[in-house]
Amino acid sequence: MRQCAAVTVTIALRHIKKRFGSQVALDDVSLELGRGERVALVGENGAGKSSLMNVLYGLYGADAGEVAIDGKKVRLRTPADALAHGIGMVHQHFTLVGPLTVAENVVLGREPTKAGLLDLPRAKAEVAATCARFGFVLDVNARVDTLSVGSQQKVEIVKALHRGVSTLILDEPTAVLTPQEADELFAVTRRLSDEGLTVVLISHKLREVLSFATRIAVLRRGKKVAEVTPEESTQASLAALMVGEREAPAAPPASTPGDVVVALAHGACGKLKDVSLEVRAGEVLGIAGVDGNGQRELAAVLTGLSRLDGGTLHLLGSPQPSLTPRAARRLGVAHIPEDRLHHAVVTDFTVAENVALGRQHQAPFAKGPRIDFEGRLSRTTSLLEAHDVRPRAPSLRLGALSGGNQQKLVVARELDANPKLLVAVQPTRGLDLAAVDAVRSRLLDFRAQGGAVVLVSLDLEEVLALSDRVVVLYEGRVTGEFTRGEFDERLIGERMLGVRDA
Amino acid sequence: MRETARAALPSVASVITSLVVCFLAVAVLRGGLEVALDAFLAMTWGAFGDFPRFFDGGTSAAVLRPLGESATKAAILTLTGLSVAVAFRVGLFNIGAQGQLIVGALAAAVVGAGVELPTALHVALCLLAAAAGGALYALGPALLKRYRGVHEVISTIMLNWVALSLVENWLVTGPLRATTTGDNSIAGTAQIHASAELPRLLGDVSRLNAGILLAIAAAVALWLWLTRFVGGFQWRAVGANPEAARASGVNVGRAFISAMLVSGALAGLAGAVLILGTEQRYPATIGAPYGFDGIAMALIGNGHPLGVLASALLFGGLRAGGTRMQLFGVHKSFPELIQGLALLLVAARLMWMKVSDRLLKPKGGP
Repeated sequence: MRQCAAVTVTIALRHIKKRFGSQVALDDVSLELGRGERVALVGENGAGKSSLMNVLYGLYGADAGEVAIDGKKVRLRTPADALAHGIGMVHQHFTLVGPLTVAENVVLGREPTKAGLLDLPRAKAEVAATCARFGFVLDVNARVDTLSVGSQQKVEIVKALHRGVSTLILDEPTAVLTPQEADELFAVTRRLSDEGLTVVLISHKLREVLSFATRIAVLRRGKKVAEVTPEESTQASLAALMVGEREAPAAPPASTPGDVVVALAHGACGKLKDVSLEVRAGEVLGIAGVDGNGQRELAAVLTGLSRLDGGTLHLLGSPQPSLTPRAARRLGVAHIPEDRLHHAVVTDFTVAENVALGRQHQAPFAKGPRIDFEGRLSRTTSLLEAHDVRPRAPSLRLGALSGGNQQKLVVARELDANPKLLVAVQPTRGLDLAAVDAVRSRLLDFRAQGGAVVLVSLDLEEVLALSDRVVVLYEGRVTGEFTRGEFDERLIGERMLGVRDA
Repeated sequence: MRETARAALPSVASVITSLVVCFLAVAVLRGGLEVALDAFLAMTWGAFGDFPRFFDGGTSAAVLRPLGESATKAAILTLTGLSVAVAFRVGLFNIGAQGQLIVGALAAAVVGAGVELPTALHVALCLLAAAAGGALYALGPALLKRYRGVHEVISTIMLNWVALSLVENWLVTGPLRATTTGDNSIAGTAQIHASAELPRLLGDVSRLNAGILLAIAAAVALWLWLTRFVGGFQWRAVGANPEAARASGVNVGRAFISAMLVSGALAGLAGAVLILGTEQRYPATIGAPYGFDGIAMALIGNGHPLGVLASALLFGGLRAGGTRMQLFGVHKSFPELIQGLALLLVAARLMWMKVSDRLLKPKGGP
C-alpha cells in the first residue's frame, strides 16, 4: 500500500504536447507534483486541465514530452499503467456499476479469489478495512445506485485508495456535490494529503481552490501561464490570470413583474410533496435546495415530462391537468435541462439538426412535412454567431463541440423559440467563467424582455445573483420564500437544511 | 463527404476482408490459388452475368439470366433488410422480419389465387394485402412495447415461430391447401392467377421481374423519408436519444408504433415478391431465412437504406452465383459464409473506426 517514505517523491510532467485534430489542447506544459502536495489546476473550459491529467492517467498518449516518477521516465499508456505507478483518478462522471455493492465496485478488476471463485466475504472485509483506515463511513453492502452522489464519489475515492495510489487526481469533484458534501470531501482529502497522499484538484470554483490547495497552476489555452500559492492570490487575481481582466456581472435591475405565468397549487410528484408557487412574467424565481429535495421533479412537472400526482398546475392562466412535453412547448415553455446529454441534445446529430430539435415541424425548420434545409442552416448560422458558439460549423457533429459550447447552443436554441417561460436547471454547471457570464446575461435579457424564469440551481451564489424571489425546497415542501432585498444567506442555508424556527 | 466515407468504410472494408479471407480459404482447402480464382470467377459470372460466354458468341441470355436470378434474390433481401433497418433507426431491433414475411407471403398467395382482377390492379392488391399482413403482424410487438414495456426482441422472435407453425404446419397443409386434380398432388396453396404475377421485365429470357424495381423504390423512398422529412427526422431523433426526443415534444410511442408498422409492411412486401415473382403459390415451406438475412443486410448496410440496397445487390448476386461454385467442389451455400464473416467483421465497428480515423485524417493541415 502507500509508502510512508520520508523523501519527497515527485512526479514530473515535462514539455507535454497534445493536439486533437486542429485543436491544440496542451502546448509544452510542464508540472511537478511533490509528495503530500495539494495542487490545484485552474483554467477555463478547454484550457487543458483535464487533458493534462488524462495524459498523466494514461487515457491520452501525449504527442510529445515525458512523464517521470522519482526521476525515472515512465510510459503511461493505459490507466492500468498509471495505477501500477500509484496514480489514481476520480472523474466527474463516475465509473461505478450501479447494481453492484460498494465492496464489489471497489474490488472490481482485482477481486480476491478463493479456488478461482470470487471471495466476497474477504472482499467485504478488505474494503471495510480500507474505509476504516482512511476514515470513510460507507456501508460496503449497499448497492451503489441507492447511494447519494456524494457517497458514490467516496466509493470512487476508496476504490483508488484500495489500489494503493499515492497520487489522486480529482476532476471537478464538487460539481455534483452539495456544499456539505464538498466540505466533507475537502476535509477528508486534506487529511489524506497530510498523511502523504498527493492530490491534484481540477476545479472551476476559485473559492475552494484557494482554501484547499497548497499550490495553484493556471492554464490558459493549453499553456501554463502561472504557478502561484494561495497566500499570494485572490479569486480576482486567479480569474485575471485565467482569462485576463473581466467585469463582474452587474446586479440585475429591479423587476416589474407582470401576469402570472405559472401557478402551481399543492403540486405533488415523487419527491415533490406539496409545493405551491407562482411565477410572473418578467421575474426570475430561484429554487434553492440541497440536491434531491424535489427540484428535479418540479422542473419535470413544469415542462410536461412528468405528470402531477396531486395538486393543480396553471400555465398562462389555463389549467394543465395532463401536460405533455409537446403541449408545454406549444404553450411557450422552454427547458434547459440539468442533464444536457440525455435530455437536450442528440450528440450524433449535427449542430443544425440539434437547433431544429423541438421545433422541427415549424418554420424556418420545415416547409410542410419536409425539412427546410436552407432555413435551418441560416437560422443556425445566425444563432451560432449571436451566442458565440464555437466553432461556427452547423454541419459538425454536436458531440465534437466542447461542453460549454454545447450548453451555449442549448440556451440559444431554447431562447430562440420566443418562450413565455424558461425552466433552467443548473444552466451553468461545469461551464467556464466566460460561458457562465454569457448564459447568465442571456437569462437576465430574457427576463428584461418580459420572460418568466424558473431557475433551479444547487449553487446558492448563482440563485442569489440572478433571482428576484427565492423559494427554498426541503423534502419536497417549501420551507422559505425570500424576495430580493431580504436575501439572508444564513437563513436560506438553514431552511435548505430543514432547520425550523423555534 | 468525409462523414459519408467514414460511415461506409467499416462495411466496405468488412466485405472486402471477408471476400479475401474466403478466397484464401478456398485456395487452401481446394489446393491452389488457381482453383479458388476459377471458383470465384464462376460465382461472379453467375452473379452479374456470364460476360466471357456472351463475348464468346453466346446469346444475351448468358448475361440476362444470371442477372435475373440475382435481382430476384436481391429484391427480397433489400426489402427484409430495409424492414430491419427502419426499426433500427428508431432504436428497435425487429427480429421478426421472418414471421412478418411469412404472413405477407400467405396474404399475397391467398389474394393472388382467390380474387380475379385485371393485372395491374391484382398485383397492387396482392402487394397491399401482403404489406398490411406484415404490418399487422408487427403491430402486436409494437403495442406491447409501447404500453407494457415488453422488449421487442423477445416478442418478435417468438412470433416468428407462431407464424411458421400457424402457416406452414396448419394453414398451408390444411384449410388453404390446394385441391388436388386427378393424380396431381400439389404441395402448398393454390397457384395464383397469371394476373397476380409480378410482370417480367425481359420476357422469358430471364426471371428478372418488377420486384427489384419495387425494392429500389422502397429503398429510395425510405432514404428520402429519413433525410428530407420532418417525420423521418423525428424517427432518427428517437433512435439516437429517446429522452431528448421526448423532451423536444416528439411522441416517442407513436414513432415506435409507426416505424414498426412500416418495418412489418416491408417484410410483408418481401414475402409478396417471393410469391408473386418466384413461387407463384405459398409452397409447403419457404425454407430460406430471408427475414434473418435482413438483419445481416441492415447491419452490413449500416442501417442506411441505400447501404442496405447495395449490400442486398451484392449478396443477392453472390448467392445466385454461388451455385456455380459447386463445379469446383465448393458448396453452394458458400456465399452465406462470406456474408456471415462480413457481418462478424462489421460488428467490430470500433476497430474500423480507428482504421478510418487514421485513413481519413486530413493531410497537411493541423
